[in-house]
Amino acid sequence: MNISLWTLKAGERCEILGYDQMLPDNYRTRMMEFGFHPGETVTCLQSVAFGAPKVYRVSNTIFSLDEEVADHIQVRVLAADA
Amino acid sequence: MPKIILIGSPNSGKSLLFNRLTGLHHKVANFPGITVDVGIGKMRALPDVELVDFPGTYSLQAISAEEKVAVEHFERALDDPEVEQVLCLIDATRLEKSLYFTLQVIRDCERHGKPVTVLANMVDVLDSHGLSLDVGELGEAIHTPVLPISARTGKGADEIARHIQANRQLGPQPPRAHLLDAPDVLLRGTAHQLARRYGPKGDVLVRTQTRLDSFFLHSVTGGFAFFAIMYLLFQSIFTWSAPAMDAVETGLGAIANLVVPLIGSHVARDFTSDALFGGIGAFLVFVPQIFVLTFVIGLLEDSGYMARAALICHKPLRLFGLTGKSFIPMLSGVACAIPGIYAARAIDSPRKRLLTYMAIPLMPCSARLPVYTLLIAAFIPSGTALGGLVGWQGLAMFCIYFFGMLCGLLVTGIISRTSEDHYTDLPFVLELPPYRVPGIWPLLRNAWNRSKHFVTKAGKIIFTVTMVIWVLGYFPNYGTDLGTSWLGYLGRVVEPVFAPLGLDWRYAVAILTSFLAREVFVGTLGTIFGIEAADENMTPLVQQIQSSDLAIGSGLALLVFFAIALQCVSTVAILSKESGSGALATKMFVGYLLLAYSAALAVYHLAALVG
Repeated sequence: MNISLWTLKAGERCEILGYDQMLPDNYRTRMMEFGFHPGETVTCLQSVAFGAPKVYRVSNTIFSLDEEVADHIQVRVLAADA
Repeated sequence: MPKIILIGSPNSGKSLLFNRLTGLHHKVANFPGITVDVGIGKMRALPDVELVDFPGTYSLQAISAEEKVAVEHFERALDDPEVEQVLCLIDATRLEKSLYFTLQVIRDCERHGKPVTVLANMVDVLDSHGLSLDVGELGEAIHTPVLPISARTGKGADEIARHIQANRQLGPQPPRAHLLDAPDVLLRGTAHQLARRYGPKGDVLVRTQTRLDSFFLHSVTGGFAFFAIMYLLFQSIFTWSAPAMDAVETGLGAIANLVVPLIGSHVARDFTSDALFGGIGAFLVFVPQIFVLTFVIGLLEDSGYMARAALICHKPLRLFGLTGKSFIPMLSGVACAIPGIYAARAIDSPRKRLLTYMAIPLMPCSARLPVYTLLIAAFIPSGTALGGLVGWQGLAMFCIYFFGMLCGLLVTGIISRTSEDHYTDLPFVLELPPYRVPGIWPLLRNAWNRSKHFVTKAGKIIFTVTMVIWVLGYFPNYGTDLGTSWLGYLGRVVEPVFAPLGLDWRYAVAILTSFLAREVFVGTLGTIFGIEAADENMTPLVQQIQSSDLAIGSGLALLVFFAIALQCVSTVAILSKESGSGALATKMFVGYLLLAYSAALAVYHLAALVG
């Protein structure tokens, strides 16, 4: 199922499919520099209360992303054993 | 002198390595326009070589104005014939983040004919987890030597010096050309593949971090931890620095008592006593507070907690155009705006940093406290309500504190919504660094440097303004009567400006002098009303104000005026230095003055209407 990274729940893993057109180029460039490449696996480690930025792991780095960025990253949820 | 550039992405341990290689003898320079610090120091092992520490950036493809300045400066440095080599630091535990930037650096150095050495930092962390990085293979893959090092333990530091020396003896080398024309998109893909091939596998490196985050970012435990840590921060600002502040005050007083009687000339004696020890001493008192706050904030940053605090506060502050990273600077501003402005350096988004600068002077700083105490004691009854649970004066103090904070948030909220600058901003993407035990000595050194910066940079401006106000208040009657001095005359000239608030020339003079520092308002009023040491014992002054028939509307107007106006020359000076824009500091000074006056006028008329 294709969803945005923001809707990923804590503990879920996903594969990045791409970025939507709403995300400005400079944001997309910076995200790619951080390792959020299409095809990369991302894990949502924590969904903090009250809509605070969520915590994601990509490679060996942990990032916190706000909705304004994570909502524009299209992902495919991976099965727990994938 | 021959130079070696040290460059790397943020959080790669660059500053620690710089200090280790230079033995801490570095100076800091500001570039025009913005605040970008570059450390310069002679290498301990090679005293004839200067190491230049460049600001950390994630990429040479700048996406903000500030990054652009840093990148352009790096490109210019590559043209400098004195620059012999470039050291590019990568975080061996997080190759994905570092390699794209490294390939860009190698490409640009190839174009300028400068040899690059890649330093793979944090190999001690890999070792402790039973992991390793094949630096030989990685070096072959990127056609660049890679040295394994640990900036924390010092491993590999000698090898860096030997390698630099060997390169110097070889002399200028013809540039390699394997990346010469490679576009960024190709480098990004290559970096991604290299990181997958050589980067550490599994989750062993982030396991501890994840466990601690599940406590510090948990909805319940994280909230408790946050408030406990912020309480300690507040304690450090107010309580821990108080003995040192008292010691500075006592020390300066003792020196003044020794020196002043030795001065023969009456004018020179008054100048030394009032302007030098009184005026300059008033700002030196803040140095311990800045030292302690910088140290504690450094502790939070180095431990990795600061990033978590920013995350927790991000959502509510975002409503007002700010970021979670604005929280600590604004909290610091409650004690004193100056350390708050310094703390705003940690905000990477220039737009959010600018908005934070705007909010900080409206935080209810400790210099406002004596003014609030005086005015509340004079105009608010001391009775209680709800069976003694609520004291009117305490409630008034809470309201005026809350009013200042609310003004700060409203100002940033309005400006962020009415100014269009969205696409030059940086997104809120916060790297959560691993938790670690902070090193005390670097933190103490940083706190010392920040305190020194405050004294040397703000000192010049404060000294000048102090002189002007002293001269105006002292002449032509040689300090015998402030009312007939030039400042008193000026007070009468500006009296019509404050008359609509129901204030006469005496309050006008006190307001004028308070632009040096807010708390001077109390001392000046005391001088005018002929009360000695009014700032230490306010009761006689409160009685004088109450018997001077000043309307309650005027008192409330004064409270509101002081809550908003930017009457602090030190803050304006540091704002100008830190933002790199004298125009911004001037606009804020004028803007808040007009806003303060308008709000005070509205409150005065509202109070008159209510009766």
